Amino acid sequence: MFKRLWQSLKQPSAKYSLLALLSFGFIGGVLFWGGFNTAMEATNQLEFCIGCHEMRDTVYQEYKTTIHYSNRTGVRAICSDCHVPKDWAHKMMRKIQASQEVYGKIMGTINTPEKFEAKRLELATHEWERMKASDSRECRNCHSFEGMDVDKQKMRGAKMHKIAQADKKTCIDCHKGIAHHKPKGMKEEDDE
Amino acid sequence: MNKAVVAVAVLGSLFAFGSQVAHAAPDWSKVPKRDVAVFHPGVTPIEWATKKSEHSGVTGLKKGETCIGCHEEKNGSLNFDMKRLAGKDLEPKGAPKTMTFPVAVQAAYDKDNLYVRLSFKAPSGGADTSDKDSEVKAAVMFANDKVSQGAQVGCWQTCHSDARTMPGADDKKTKYTKDGAYELMQWKSAKGAKAVDGSVTDKRSMEGGTAGVKAEGTKGADGYTVTFTRKNPGEGKVIPMGVAIHADHATGRFHHVSMGYKLGIGADGDIKAVKQ
Repeated sequence: MFKRLWQSLKQPSAKYSLLALLSFGFIGGVLFWGGFNTAMEATNQLEFCIGCHEMRDTVYQEYKTTIHYSNRTGVRAICSDCHVPKDWAHKMMRKIQASQEVYGKIMGTINTPEKFEAKRLELATHEWERMKASDSRECRNCHSFEGMDVDKQKMRGAKMHKIAQADKKTCIDCHKGIAHHKPKGMKEEDDE
Repeated sequence: MNKAVVAVAVLGSLFAFGSQVAHAAPDWSKVPKRDVAVFHPGVTPIEWATKKSEHSGVTGLKKGETCIGCHEEKNGSLNFDMKRLAGKDLEPKGAPKTMTFPVAVQAAYDKDNLYVRLSFKAPSGGADTSDKDSEVKAAVMFANDKVSQGAQVGCWQTCHSDARTMPGADDKKTKYTKDGAYELMQWKSAKGAKAVDGSVTDKRSMEGGTAGVKAEGTKGADGYTVTFTRKNPGEGKVIPMGVAIHADHATGRFHHVSMGYKLGIGADGDIKAVKQ
C-alpha cells in the first residue's frame, strides 16, 4: 500500500496547477507550523508542568510562596519562563532534551518526597549549570542591570548588583534558591 | 592644730571638687544621639555569615564592605529578610515577639574617660527567659585592631556555631574570637550587680578587664538608660563597637544585637564621641 502511495506522489500532477499545489502547500505549511507551535506551547503552560505530581507536590508548592509567583504588580513568571528558552533554536534543543524526563516519569525516579529530596541537589545543579552556561538567559528575558532603578532598590541589592557587574557575574551566581528551596549539601565551590 | 586641720580639709575638698569638675558627667542633652537598630540574630554565627550558600552577601564582605553598608538603609532601618531570620531554619527555638528595636547611642569623652550612654525600651515576649536575676542586661564591646575584619563585622567575630546556647553546643564553651581581642563592658539590672569589665579572647571573661568600667542604669517611663564610664582609649581613635541588649530575662544568644559601628573618639565615625 505504501509503495502505491509513494508511486503516485512521485508522479507529476495531471489535475492541479502548480500555483494551486504551491498555495495549498504553503497554507498547509502555515497551519502545520502554527499547530506544531501551539502543541509545543501547550507543554510550556504551568498546568502542563504540574500535571505530574512530582512537580506539583514539591517545587510548585515552594514556588507559590515566592515573589515570582505573587507580587505587588501581579507580574508572574511561570515554570517555562525560567526553565525553557524563548528563542526557537534553544527552545527546540531543550524540548528534545526534556523528552528524557518522560523516561524518568515512567521509571518513577523522583515519584516520592524522599526520592525527590535525595535527588534535589543533582537536579538543581543541572539547572544552575545550564543557567550559568547561558549567562542566565532566562532571567534576562525580564531582568537587566540597565533596567534597574537603583534608587528604588534596597541598599543590599544596589551594592551587590554593582559588585556583580564589576565582577562580570551572572544572575544565578547569587540568586540560587530564589523560586525553590535550596538543596542541602551545596558545595562552596558550586557557589562561584 | 585646728588651723592645720581646717587648712587640710579645705585643700582636700578643693582637690576633690577639682577632680569632680575634671571628670564631671557629660551634659547628655548636648550630646547627639545616634539610633542603632538591635535585632534578634537567630542562629547566624560568623561561620554562617561567611558561607556564600547561606549569605551571598559575603561577596561584599570580601570586597571590604561593612555589614551596615549593605544592611542599614539611609533612614536607619534594617533591610534583613525578617521572615527568614524568624523562621525555623534560622531560629529553631522560635523567634521573640519583637525582632528589632532601636537603641539611642550617645558618646562623649574628656581627658581621662570615655562615656557611652544607651537609651532604649526593652521589649517583652522574649524567646528565652532563663536569667531570673536580671530583667535586662546591656553590653558594649570594643574590638582591637587585631580582630580580622573587625571594622566591618563589629562583634560578629565572637559569634560561633559551637558557642553555648547555639544548637548542639557545649554549655561551658563561651564566645571567643579567633584573633585579636574585644573589651567587654556590661550592665545588669539585678539589684547590686557589679558592672562587668571583661574581655573576649579565646574565651569570654566577665572580669579582669583593664578599662576601669563603671556602669549605671535606670528604668523610667521612657525605658532604660545605661551609662558606661571607662578609660578613654585615646582621642582620634576609631574603634569598632557593637551593642547587645538581653531583654526580658534573656541569656546566651537570645540577645538583640547591633551590627558593627565605628566609634570615633573626636574623630569621624558612624558614632562620634564628642569632647567635653
